[in-house]
Amino acid sequence: MKHLNEEELVEHYYKADARAERHLARCAACAEAFVALHSDLAAIEFPALPNRDAAYGERVWESISASLPRLEAPKRNWLGWRLLRGLSYASAFGLLLACAFYAGRQWEHGHQPRVTVAAKQPQSQPATRPPERVVVVVLSDHLDRSERLLVELKHADADSEEMIKPLRDQARSLLVANQLCRRQAKKQDDPALDAALERLDRLFDQLANQPGGLTPAAITRLQDQLNSDSLLFEVRVLRSKAMDHEPPAAARSYGGTI
Amino acid sequence: MVRMGKNDHATVRAILAGDKEAYGALVARHGASLFRVAFRITGNEADADDVVQDAFLRGYQKLESFESRSNFGTWIYRIAVRCALDRISAPRAAGSRVAEASDPEQDEVQVADRAASPERLLLSGEILALQDQALRSLTPMEQAAFTLRHLEDCSTEEIAAALGIAPNAARQAVFRAVQKMRSRLAPLRMKR
Repeated sequence: MKHLNEEELVEHYYKADARAERHLARCAACAEAFVALHSDLAAIEFPALPNRDAAYGERVWESISASLPRLEAPKRNWLGWRLLRGLSYASAFGLLLACAFYAGRQWEHGHQPRVTVAAKQPQSQPATRPPERVVVVVLSDHLDRSERLLVELKHADADSEEMIKPLRDQARSLLVANQLCRRQAKKQDDPALDAALERLDRLFDQLANQPGGLTPAAITRLQDQLNSDSLLFEVRVLRSKAMDHEPPAAARSYGGTI
Repeated sequence: MVRMGKNDHATVRAILAGDKEAYGALVARHGASLFRVAFRITGNEADADDVVQDAFLRGYQKLESFESRSNFGTWIYRIAVRCALDRISAPRAAGSRVAEASDPEQDEVQVADRAASPERLLLSGEILALQDQALRSLTPMEQAAFTLRHLEDCSTEEIAAALGIAPNAARQAVFRAVQKMRSRLAPLRMKR
């Protein structure tokens, strides 16, 4: 049997505990100790409490009231509160606008049509340019269009004005694209391509800017030139290579800004 | 322990709104209970009066921190206990306190120079002096804890809250006080 220690007996004296009570009922030693404790504590005499009449509190109040300052209720500054609230709303609205603007910019950036510029760059380099007017010339497309023009020129009827005029227009269009391709070919140090494009450049220039217009004689001369220097064959080879080795046109292209 | 007046909260609100005179109602309502606990802890009527005034002054200064969900009576009671504890913790004038003897058996009658009340004159001078001396031999914390437990019938938790200590520390303080009191009052056991 585990006896109650003195601390437990003191606890039981001030606050009766059922477990301690049961133990005391069975344990004579602990019961005797508890009786002694009870006797000692009950015998302690304390000075009697001095009488304080009903007016005691009032007398205390009289003695201290003069030294107490008047408490002031916290004043509500309605103007300041409203201004603060207005500023809060304005800040929240401004923040919302800024978020919306930023989100819009991000969305626009993410959905902007991809403008591919300047081919034969390492794919890790950025393929986009600032928002200038960009002429995108895909090499294989350019060569394809050039080939078709050369074919048409080769079989054109020199006396037919209806056939000559479209050739001139196409040549003007291709001339610009060809210059861009040449620029890039030089940058990429591709002499074969550069040489072919240079010859195309001269041909397109003659077609587009023939002094006095494209006369039948001029067409015939250009046809002879085309047949003699195998430019058409060379363009076909280059186009074939471009189509074989290039990724999709949009991913590898030649071009530039104008 | 002091119990709550129903309209204490309304009175506190009025005081905080600038009605200083309303505090007088709270002082009148709780003054007597504060005097009781102050006297029991200090054992001195004049000290108890000072403690009551000090407690109400402190309460007024801290009234803004009084939480409306609390009981004002309990709140001001605890302030009074702290004030009383401070009072008995402060070094007392040499002539107003009994010289503490270490050996209880050598403690003959060394009565404090207190204002004698008619009730005290009726008690046995020797017994009362020994008990008073035993009580004053406690540390201020033990004395306050024992008084709150033995006379004010406070629970351990209430003592801990009033003295600002942990419940276990309050329990230990009461236990040590009882041990010391019994030891110091052992000579009286033979005489009873």
